[in-house]
Amino acid sequence: MAVQVASTLDDVKALVNDAIAARQHLEVVGSGSKRGLGRTGNYHATIDVSGMAGIVDYQPEELVLTLRAGTPMSVVEAALAKAHQMLAFEVPDYSHLLGTGSAGTIGGVIAGNLSGPRRLTKGAARDYLLGFEAVSGRGELFKSGGKVMKNVTGYDLSKLITGSFGTLAVMDEITLKTLPKPETSCSLIGQAADFADATKQIASVFATPHEPGAAAILPCSLAAAVGLPTGTGDACTYVIRLEGIAISIADRAAHLIAMTGGQTIEQTPSEALWADIRDVTLLDKKLGQDLGKCQDKKNIHDVWKISVPPADAAGVIGKISTNNDDITYFADWGGGLIWMTGGSAGLGQDIRNAVAERDSGFAMLIRDAGTASIPLPPLQPLNAPLLSLHKRVKAAFDPLGVLNFGRMHEDV
Amino acid sequence: MLMPTPDQDVIERRTAICTALRTLVPATCVIDNNEGMRAFDADGLSAYRQLPLAVVLPETVAQIAAVMKWCNDEGIKVVPRGAGTSLSGGALPLADAVLLGLGKFNRITEIDYDNRCVVAQPGVTNLAITHAVQSEGFYYAPDPSSQIACSVGGNVAENSGGVHCLKYGLTTNNLLGIEIVTMEGEILRLGGKHLDAGDYDLMGVMTGSEGLLGVVSEVTLRILQKPATQRALLVGFDDTSAAGKAVGDVIGKGIIPAGMEMMDGLAINAAEDFANAGYPRSAAALIIVELDGPEVEVNALIERVETIMRDAGATSIKVSQSEEERNLFWAGRKSAFPAVGRISPDYLCMDGTIPRRRLPDMMVRMASLSQKYGLRVANVFHAGDGNLHPLILFDANEPGELERAEDFGADILRSCVEMGGVLTGEHGVGVEKRDLMTIQFTEEDLKQQQRLKCAFDAGHLLNPGKVFPHLHRCAELGRLHVHKGKMPHPDLPRF
Repeated sequence: MAVQVASTLDDVKALVNDAIAARQHLEVVGSGSKRGLGRTGNYHATIDVSGMAGIVDYQPEELVLTLRAGTPMSVVEAALAKAHQMLAFEVPDYSHLLGTGSAGTIGGVIAGNLSGPRRLTKGAARDYLLGFEAVSGRGELFKSGGKVMKNVTGYDLSKLITGSFGTLAVMDEITLKTLPKPETSCSLIGQAADFADATKQIASVFATPHEPGAAAILPCSLAAAVGLPTGTGDACTYVIRLEGIAISIADRAAHLIAMTGGQTIEQTPSEALWADIRDVTLLDKKLGQDLGKCQDKKNIHDVWKISVPPADAAGVIGKISTNNDDITYFADWGGGLIWMTGGSAGLGQDIRNAVAERDSGFAMLIRDAGTASIPLPPLQPLNAPLLSLHKRVKAAFDPLGVLNFGRMHEDV
Repeated sequence: MLMPTPDQDVIERRTAICTALRTLVPATCVIDNNEGMRAFDADGLSAYRQLPLAVVLPETVAQIAAVMKWCNDEGIKVVPRGAGTSLSGGALPLADAVLLGLGKFNRITEIDYDNRCVVAQPGVTNLAITHAVQSEGFYYAPDPSSQIACSVGGNVAENSGGVHCLKYGLTTNNLLGIEIVTMEGEILRLGGKHLDAGDYDLMGVMTGSEGLLGVVSEVTLRILQKPATQRALLVGFDDTSAAGKAVGDVIGKGIIPAGMEMMDGLAINAAEDFANAGYPRSAAALIIVELDGPEVEVNALIERVETIMRDAGATSIKVSQSEEERNLFWAGRKSAFPAVGRISPDYLCMDGTIPRRRLPDMMVRMASLSQKYGLRVANVFHAGDGNLHPLILFDANEPGELERAEDFGADILRSCVEMGGVLTGEHGVGVEKRDLMTIQFTEEDLKQQQRLKCAFDAGHLLNPGKVFPHLHRCAELGRLHVHKGKMPHPDLPRF
């Protein structure tokens, strides 16, 4: 398949216009690290946008970072670290999970709306995109939002473009809100009788003014695999991260230890644990294998990302496990984000059914090992009126389906 | 302000339309007499008034859907309205449009502490959410100054902010889910009690869409635990540039205050006359910094901020020693608008945002514009995020002064865009800033936004005449110019 390199939006415009004229579908790719997310499509050619890279303007005191979408995450992280700042939504690196080499580009992170543990309290990628410039599937240059923190001028297309998997437009310059990096952090480790008890205990910690920043739940076998104190059987260990200035986290940790009977771990081991949670490498540790480097396809299982209200999580897991006794899972976001893997052929359908039974939730197949008895669409199917609205929104930006056609849903 | 020419055919059908509407909602829910409709003829931008075709006050979501579908089928425009507190004319009625009031949707339907959210009908006031959960120590963070009256549905439509959004975000950052009714009468649920889904963020784009894409019929809001301690500093400067720089220094040192507000000399004195808050009258600029969180943290950060302010050249610093004193510090700022109302018969409140570092330039520009137009301006800023609220003082009884004040305001907003900022930080475009949109956006930018509108409302029936200066028919917007077989850039290398 032809690869066409675009280094400016003018290049993109030309390529999209050619594709419109020839009625062709194009795949838009940065570093390619997240190519495995979403549906696979039939494309006539690929646009490589990884050359549209570099930091354009970074004003730490303004909390504003303008950069090009193809900028590698390593470059972004280095610039932020120098200014003691961060992207508060905590960019996860799924490259290990997806078997790709790098954390990819900031554009890929935005296109997938990918957020880590701090999403629970500080918001998602979509909350930090202030504005962007792009070329639509109509081959037209447009911008939306701005380079300031507070802005309600016109529709908030930043929200729409975040998580649109490149199906609406090709971004170049984007502006993100940054925040100061917390001076230090630690984690509270608590014990719960089971998963439901863990979500309840976490909820009670969130009902205090001690400002928990992130919360994860590890079933005991997983907690043991990473050397955390834990129980046996149904027991779960929960981990609550506290961030801020030293005097503050010491005070908050003391209150929470008194309340929960838990214990704390220091910044360095705490950061390592949260990196394993954020990047989902925790599953490797439990399974005793390196998922990313596993060459033997037979040993690779599907990996699912399930988003539900935290209080529903235990019920959803219980429902799934009735038919699947070999599942491995843990939860981030106070229970609201479940990462699950397992080898049985019906697992995906059971996950979809368990989520669909609830009022609110979403299950995405992040890594498809091809083991399902019936192939499932990676994104939770939409009901008819919502699918129809998605198609109309897609058409508003890309009427001929030039960009990443079918990446999210059929014809979207 | 030129609104779309009313459709005379629709106006002539008014009696029949009201009769039909009374079959869709209880008869008493349709108001068509002028006295009754008068209460709905304007929103917070009261310089503009217009009686609607009729007012409909549905009582159920099914009734909203029925009214919308009927209007869509009949080609009748609809203007949605929450509490009517918009400062930009977002809920300004149109002579040929049904005004859809959501005031009867005033119930909180669920308080869910386990998932830390509240489900409410759109007509519930912003402050009522906090009142409902404060016994458990929770609150709803966005706090627009109209929070006692404004509705949460309206907050979603306008993406409302407040003085604490520097740390806690705007409505869009505190919203988990919404239910909307489309112009076609379809009821859709977007988001929910879970965090991210993997679809188009239609909830995100509905937020701040100013009632042009759909009617919000339910909201699910995130609630937070109230911080243990709040303390504030009152800091005077004899130079606005130094004050502007001090704001950047605080953030540059890694501190994100809960709120950081700034006032200029005219605003300080007007507020002090009104509230006796102990503001330094001789200061050229006043900064209020509020810190919240655990007590030990707040006390430590207060000291750090004090040092930063002193180093930045502060001429006076007061730290609140009690809740009463903190509230007093805020009393002046919170009464700034009515206080300015006392020193001038009328004022226009502007709402641009600039990159914070341009604040000194903006102050100079504003002073010269003030001279040019012969009108005074008092400045109140959400300094932390660069959101300006210049108040232009004028007397509407003096012929030509309103127009002069509006021109002054437009020049301020032009300057905001020129300095890298935007037309509106939190009040919305509405009708007020509609015709200035071309300053910030190209024709292509605006057309792309309107194409999105077409995906939701192909007939342009929902709240037309707002936000966009030029209305394009959807068929025209959708047309694609294809130069078949012709390479637009034959010189471009292709691999």
